[in-house]
Amino acid sequence: MANIPSNISKKGDAIPFWRDGRVLGVIAQIVFLVLVILATAWLANNVVTNMDRLGAFRCADGSSRFVCGFNFLRIDAQFDIGETTLIRYEPSDSFGRAMLAGGLNTIRVGFFGIILATILGTVTGIARLSENWLINNIAKWYVDLIRNTPLLLQLFFIYFGVLLLLPSIREAIQPFGLPIFISQRGIDVVAPVFMISGRIWFMALLLGLVTAVVVGWAFRQWQIERGVGGSPALLALAVLAVIATAGWFVAQAGSDDNQALLTQSELGVTHLDDIAGVVARRLGVPELSGVAGAVADGRLIQEQVDEAALSVCALVRDPAEVNVSAELRQRNIPHTFQRFTRTNLAVDAFNAGSCDAFVGDRESLTAITAAGSLIAVPERPVRLSFPSIQGLNFVGGYKLTPNFAAILLGLVIYTGAFIAEIVRAGIQSVPKGQSEAARALGLSESQRLQLVVLPQALRVIIPPLTSQYLNLVKNSSLSIAVGYPDLWVTSFITLNQSGQSVQVFVMVMSIYLSFSLSISALLNWYNRRIALVER
Amino acid sequence: MTRFTDNASSFTIAGRPVHFSLRQFAKENFLSSLWLALWMVLLLYLTAVVARNQLQTAPLWTAVILVGWLASVGLTAFNQITRQHTAATAWLRGNLYSSLSNALVTLLLLLLLVAAVRGFFNWAFVYASFTTDATLARETLRQQEQAGANWGAVRANLRNLLVFRWPRDQDWRLWLIVAWNVLLIIPSQFVYRREAFRKSLLRRGLTFLWLLTPIFVFFLVRGAGGSDSFLRQLNPDQAWGGLLLSLIIAIFAIVASFPLGVLLALGRRSQIRGVPARPTYIVAGSLTLYFLIANTFPSLSAVQTISARILSFWPLLIILFAFLFQRYFTGNVVALFSTVYIETVRGVPFITVLFMSIILFPILLPPGTEILSTWRVMVAAALFSAAYLAENVRGGLQSLNQGQYEAADAIGLNTFQKYRLIVLPQALRAVIPAIVGQFIALFKDTSLIAIVGLLEFLAVANLISAQPDWLGVRREPYVFIALVYFVGSAAMAGYSRRLEARLGVGQR
Repeated sequence: MANIPSNISKKGDAIPFWRDGRVLGVIAQIVFLVLVILATAWLANNVVTNMDRLGAFRCADGSSRFVCGFNFLRIDAQFDIGETTLIRYEPSDSFGRAMLAGGLNTIRVGFFGIILATILGTVTGIARLSENWLINNIAKWYVDLIRNTPLLLQLFFIYFGVLLLLPSIREAIQPFGLPIFISQRGIDVVAPVFMISGRIWFMALLLGLVTAVVVGWAFRQWQIERGVGGSPALLALAVLAVIATAGWFVAQAGSDDNQALLTQSELGVTHLDDIAGVVARRLGVPELSGVAGAVADGRLIQEQVDEAALSVCALVRDPAEVNVSAELRQRNIPHTFQRFTRTNLAVDAFNAGSCDAFVGDRESLTAITAAGSLIAVPERPVRLSFPSIQGLNFVGGYKLTPNFAAILLGLVIYTGAFIAEIVRAGIQSVPKGQSEAARALGLSESQRLQLVVLPQALRVIIPPLTSQYLNLVKNSSLSIAVGYPDLWVTSFITLNQSGQSVQVFVMVMSIYLSFSLSISALLNWYNRRIALVER
Repeated sequence: MTRFTDNASSFTIAGRPVHFSLRQFAKENFLSSLWLALWMVLLLYLTAVVARNQLQTAPLWTAVILVGWLASVGLTAFNQITRQHTAATAWLRGNLYSSLSNALVTLLLLLLLVAAVRGFFNWAFVYASFTTDATLARETLRQQEQAGANWGAVRANLRNLLVFRWPRDQDWRLWLIVAWNVLLIIPSQFVYRREAFRKSLLRRGLTFLWLLTPIFVFFLVRGAGGSDSFLRQLNPDQAWGGLLLSLIIAIFAIVASFPLGVLLALGRRSQIRGVPARPTYIVAGSLTLYFLIANTFPSLSAVQTISARILSFWPLLIILFAFLFQRYFTGNVVALFSTVYIETVRGVPFITVLFMSIILFPILLPPGTEILSTWRVMVAAALFSAAYLAENVRGGLQSLNQGQYEAADAIGLNTFQKYRLIVLPQALRAVIPAIVGQFIALFKDTSLIAIVGLLEFLAVANLISAQPDWLGVRREPYVFIALVYFVGSAAMAGYSRRLEARLGVGQR
């Protein structure tokens, strides 16, 4: 005891400042900061020197400023993008719009990829836990094989080794006789097309959806209060169906003047039904209903029919084309379409007499010309557009290009394998006793899964699932390997054509970062919502 | 005690009492719910369609499967209703035929599986050509009734796939590397496992040799001397290619990213006293003011569009950053830098980082600096890998009990000693499996450098399909590469699992 120095707390023996953690910390920080600033300044100086030499930050007035480095975004891009999502894009649009189109394409792949990969992963993850040995092992092999080979290899294989080796358009595969055509040029499927009045119906659909949810919720509350049975989901569906049907008729009622067919005056038609007579006269048959049969018997040649068919001018991707096509088909009138990218081209063709009719919305048709006679075309809010072969391509319907199909399939198959392992681990993390307790309570199998197992498994599943979703979006940049014009591809072309590499990289990286941050913010919010409430 | 019996045994078959109730059977397999009934109808329909289809394409095989399935289901069902299972039927009942639906699913999958395997087998072996003579291969394939694989493309290009343009007279270097590693691995199997070798000279020597390996390998693959010396220097952009290049980049990236990754992980968790709030805001505020006056206001008049005007107010971001810095990092610059680096790199795709290394490196360096693409890609891969490694190491650091740090402080270790002797050995041991996993991911990701134009494994496969002899032959090299990646990754994953077991991760 006596050995303890008595002057231990004296001021002179306090830790010297060069060994004081607080002081050392501040010094370390300052040194670090200086190093980082020096390195950054060196890099920035190099960038500025190099970029100045290339004239990258030059403003219109000749001075150099960083802000002016983004002026190139308004220059015409001059390159084509194979396919776009939600917006139209022409080579005469700007670089900025090209990158926007690419970004939307990435969102398309990410959106559908995440949904499909989640479904595939969940199914496979549950299959991994199946009591059936065969299912279990097939799922295991799928997961092992996919997880242990590079994604790029799988993409190459799917694109070059499978999709591009499919039969040509004329021999397109049609599974089960459905209106789905699988060929070298992609997958063409039947698709709904919204007319002008379709917007009204769409609004009605949205309204119906909201009402259905509210009614279902209210009914459920009422049930709980009164203790009565019945299915809220069924009631909600009925409400939705009623409102959607009513909306359909309302939309159709006000749509008679939306679309019209401008016909050459010499045809002398005033009503859609009159056209049948004109075409029948040209063909030299009394009734058009027998034409298909006559062609099949050989009494008429297909070329003859094509010759006499009503030729219609239309704008590319105009919904009116689908509508009038359906109406003409209903009346057995053979017809062919000539499609134009611009209205004035179509009008010129019509005035030159190269087509019998010009279809479009009534307002624009009246504005164009008085050279023909306008006849009304009844409109339905939504029509189905069927793919059909014209020349070397399919026209109509919805086209999944091989590029999009390859990147989507590749990402779904790859990410699905990872999600499967996450789902399996999540379900296995729920103790067996929970399932046994649920059975002991008399819950049905689906109730056991919904109310007991899944809520607990989800807490384990969500965090790693988030990182898989992020991986999927990041991996979508591999579209460059299969030629799908996503954000990275369009940015890369922009970079090559404009030479503004630093700005493009900054933009691309911030966009990918914002995708990542928004996905993780969304899932973190969901994770907090389902997290265990602890005291 | 009442014993729950589904039914009484009313009759016997072959001397065994039969426990079977049709009602119970129907209820369990069809009628317990509407969905089950629908599912069974769908399943029956699908199985029937597939079976009919397969009977037409491959009658013999399908017949064998159908007969085998019927026999085994019958036997299992018989043993089940008579309550006398053999080992085989008990397994069948438990794993394949536990219900009618399961039995049908088994049949359906079996039919599909056999069809798929048969298709692959026919393509890969029966109708395939193995000759390296291109004209002969074309002739052979034309005579087959089905499309077959053209393995000659892979055989003829095996050297290209593995090492591509590596000079033939220098092959001995690669063999030397292989031999060196094999010679080190064999004793390592004993030395590192036995406790008796813990402090021995043998173990230290071996560790030293292992640490020397990267340098040794580098000198062999790169070379050192002049153009006529026996160890002549090779140009990596030309001499390295194929699987060799993939391996070099993956191994370099994981080794080089290790120190940086550990530093980043420590930096992100560092708790040193940060820059106080008041000076931060004073500096940030004055910088903002300066840039607003010197930069923003002059450029406001120069630019026309609204977006450019908004962009020119960028100095306001300084204040925002200062606020975020104080709010989330309490003034800790090191943690800020590490976190921003890690999250930025993890948030962007590898492919953009690779392109950045190809396109942006020359811009980031002083004008006139020339660096080979291979070096650039290797640096990019290492920098990219470091961010992921840092997160793995951080996981290991977090798994460590706070008491370990306190105990190290209590026995008077300084910070460096604390991390070197106490923290890092435990933290790193905990994350070895994760690091192996990351190496597997990196090994697979090296295939992306094919896109930036370096001729690694996968890029060579694409070149093969452009050779006049093997025009359009793509699937065969892809299958070969997939096989190599699969075997390599699976082997490493297996090694990682064994390592995990040996180190007792998660058991302490």
